[in-house]
Amino acid sequence: MYKFNQKLISAVILALSLTACSNDTSQTSTETTTKPKETSVSEKVANAILPSAQAATYEEITIKTGGFNLGKPASKEEIAGWHIEVSHGHNLPPGEGTAADGEEFFEEVCANCHGSFGEGVGRNPVLAGGEGTLTDKMKPERTVGSYWPYASTLLDYTHRAMPFPSAQSLTWDQTWSLSAYVLYLNDIIEDEDFVFNAQSYKEIHMPNENGFIRDERPDTHNTRCMKDCKDPASIKVKTALLGYGSGAEDVVEETKVAKGHELGQKIYDGTCRLCHGTGLAGAPKIEDTLTWEHRLKQGLSKVHKHAINGFSGQSGVMPPKGGNMELTDDEVKAAVDFMLKDIEQ
Amino acid sequence: MSDKNTIKDQKSLSQQKNINSRRKFLSQAAATTAVVATGGAAANNLPPNVPEWQRHLGKPVNSNPYGQPSKYESSVRRLRVPWLTPDSIASISFTPLAEIKGMISPNGLAFERDHGGLPTIDPEQHRLMIHGLVEKPIILTMDDIKRFPNVSRIHFIECPANSAMEWKGPQVGRLQFTHGMTNCCEWTGVPLKYILEEVGVKPEGKWLLVEGADSASMSRSVPMEKALDDTLVVFGQNGEALRPEQGYPLRLLTPGWEGNTSIKWLRRIEITAEPSYQREETSKYTDLLNPRDPKRKDLIGKAYLFSWIMEAKAIITFPCPEKPLKEHGKYVINGLAWTGTGKIKHVDVSFDGGINWVQAELNGLVLDKCWTRFSIPFEWNGEEVLLQSRATGEDGYVQPTLKQLREARGVASIYHNNAIHTWKINKNGEVESVQV
Ligand code: HEC
Ligand code: HEC
Repeated sequence: MYKFNQKLISAVILALSLTACSNDTSQTSTETTTKPKETSVSEKVANAILPSAQAATYEEITIKTGGFNLGKPASKEEIAGWHIEVSHGHNLPPGEGTAADGEEFFEEVCANCHGSFGEGVGRNPVLAGGEGTLTDKMKPERTVGSYWPYASTLLDYTHRAMPFPSAQSLTWDQTWSLSAYVLYLNDIIEDEDFVFNAQSYKEIHMPNENGFIRDERPDTHNTRCMKDCKDPASIKVKTALLGYGSGAEDVVEETKVAKGHELGQKIYDGTCRLCHGTGLAGAPKIEDTLTWEHRLKQGLSKVHKHAINGFSGQSGVMPPKGGNMELTDDEVKAAVDFMLKDIEQ
Repeated sequence: MSDKNTIKDQKSLSQQKNINSRRKFLSQAAATTAVVATGGAAANNLPPNVPEWQRHLGKPVNSNPYGQPSKYESSVRRLRVPWLTPDSIASISFTPLAEIKGMISPNGLAFERDHGGLPTIDPEQHRLMIHGLVEKPIILTMDDIKRFPNVSRIHFIECPANSAMEWKGPQVGRLQFTHGMTNCCEWTGVPLKYILEEVGVKPEGKWLLVEGADSASMSRSVPMEKALDDTLVVFGQNGEALRPEQGYPLRLLTPGWEGNTSIKWLRRIEITAEPSYQREETSKYTDLLNPRDPKRKDLIGKAYLFSWIMEAKAIITFPCPEKPLKEHGKYVINGLAWTGTGKIKHVDVSFDGGINWVQAELNGLVLDKCWTRFSIPFEWNGEEVLLQSRATGEDGYVQPTLKQLREARGVASIYHNNAIHTWKINKNGEVESVQV
């Protein structure tokens, strides 16, 4: 905990003297030896007489605007080619499709990144699940199903930007069927033969449709307190988890340290997350710190061994190397270390 | 040795490594400067010797027709944090705020956020289409756009995800990553209202769908009031054409609003009656709430929609983790402050973690929705210091503490973290990012 001695405060007060900030350094050095007078500062602060830069404004344009008559009229065909958005309540596109139509196509063009069940591969977005998690303090899961207010956004975005590597390549029929499939994965469309189109659109209700409110900010009400604004005893210093490099690319010195976790995260995302991200098959979830703390009591090397050789315990079966026998032992260890990185020993 | 100890050893070893390598990094950084200033073979260049570079001719004029920074500045660059985004295409780079020398971010250092990669656009073939609820839908070329009356305005842009990693606790260890999703440039372009005058907006036209020509066809809904207020259609950045990373050849600029609404590579504006609820204003860039304040319990699980304004924020750029204090003595603390609601009115600095505050000076120009420099002199004699800065806008809004933000919104809302930030100066002069 911190003790703030008068000396420090006086150093600040001294520093406040205006000449100390001027270019004339010879003067400031003599200032250093002068005993600071506390009154001078409180006075200054209280009266706010510190000089502040004057607020500046721009000259307004006085040229008469309007009637420039620039550009050419946009034709219907030109507009049709670019008018791609789909909006809730209006602007629904032609075509139709069912989840059953979408399933195979999704597996072919989307599952690589989003997973067969929309669970997300690597760091690509999870498209399904998360119902009931929006009220979770720490880890709400925002997905199409749990969070998005309107299905129109799914149609719009899928057609506009997906599949990620080849945007605007989907037909509207494909867009309807893929969207139907994503909604099916989220149990929002329950019948895989439901024909999704502009007519049936209004039968679809997104669970979180009423979850949005208009911005209420400013929602904080700090005041410009200047003195004794909080109890010094209330100050507890928490240091940043990640060091100076913070896992950034190009920081040569640092990446070596971060590498352990980078590799670990990659392996985790590729193989382990399927179960440990979701609790599938009884797997302890990565964020369940208590479980992990408990498991660590047997020692890290044993936990490593269990991950490499497999382990069947009270909650389920951990397959050897998470079922991915292509992983080396070191890669599995890296994944375990990544999973345990936030656990206090 | 028990397994438990092994864990402990490993942990402390990795901490040790972390510290060591950080030290090494810092001392290397120091060494580089030292080489220039004093060290090694370069020592011959110090007085009373005549420096080597003064004794022969330099390179011909215009050896580098598009100027480049000195090679000694090569470490000054944007950085990415790979673990933050799915890949390097839908990703973000951070401005090295510790290296910014004024109120302007140079074009090569301005942070970049792309959702579908960086497109290469031929300006001859770029078009801006304006249609929807208008009398006269039109298509403009770049030449057409440049014939409208144009203005130059210095404005900050900030991604609403700036400082997002810090909601749950202090995470990233340096200024570039805690606050680097912002830039501030002089933008030259046409006030959007002049262009809208040309097409004749119908009375029911209350919203604009604005859309980019990138692979994400990045799109947002912007209300008409903002379009008619200070929104610009921009082609110039700090005196030259927009950089590709900033939307070359054409972008929208919605001053003071979340960066994502300033659509880059602008290709289409559609006037609509209602917002279009794009992915970037529903799935993303909405603020999911879990207020800790019991009086706001009814908001748990709800989310703010259209939270456009970037509220006041100040950050100390010297000292900071990138710029430690190397010796005792006098310093001037520098920083930047901005607010999306208008001008900065005051910035206060605390040296004791927020117990007492003193008013800093604002330096240079104080402009609307613009980085504003502040400074305060400081003498350091090896004490531990908890440095903070707090901005107040001309609207009277005071930058909140993290605690206040968490009371209002919880810790998982990702966007709009404008909390007062703390740097801890350690006894050895190193600076750490902390929360108090
Ligand atoms: C190469 C990987 C890849 C493929 C293939 C791909 N996506 Fe995506 N998808 C992404 C990435 C990356 C994002 C996030 C982009 C961003 O952050 O801007 C995304 C985002 C999405 C989102 C929005 C998620 C959210 O929560 O905001 C949806 C919906 C989606 N994709 C659907 C699809 C569909 C349907 C397909 C198949 C037609 C598909 N994607 C194919 C990588 C991919
Ligand atoms: C098919 C689901 C599944 C996959 C994939 C999976 N795990 Fe597991 N894992 C489990 C289950 C279930 C348990 C719990 C076993 C028990 O204690 O009953 C477990 C337990 C563990 C444990 C704790 C072992 C102990 O000693 O308590 C570790 C560590 C672990 N897994 C690591 C990994 C790693 C690393 C990967 C990826 C390489 C991975 N797991 C992939 C299902 C899985």
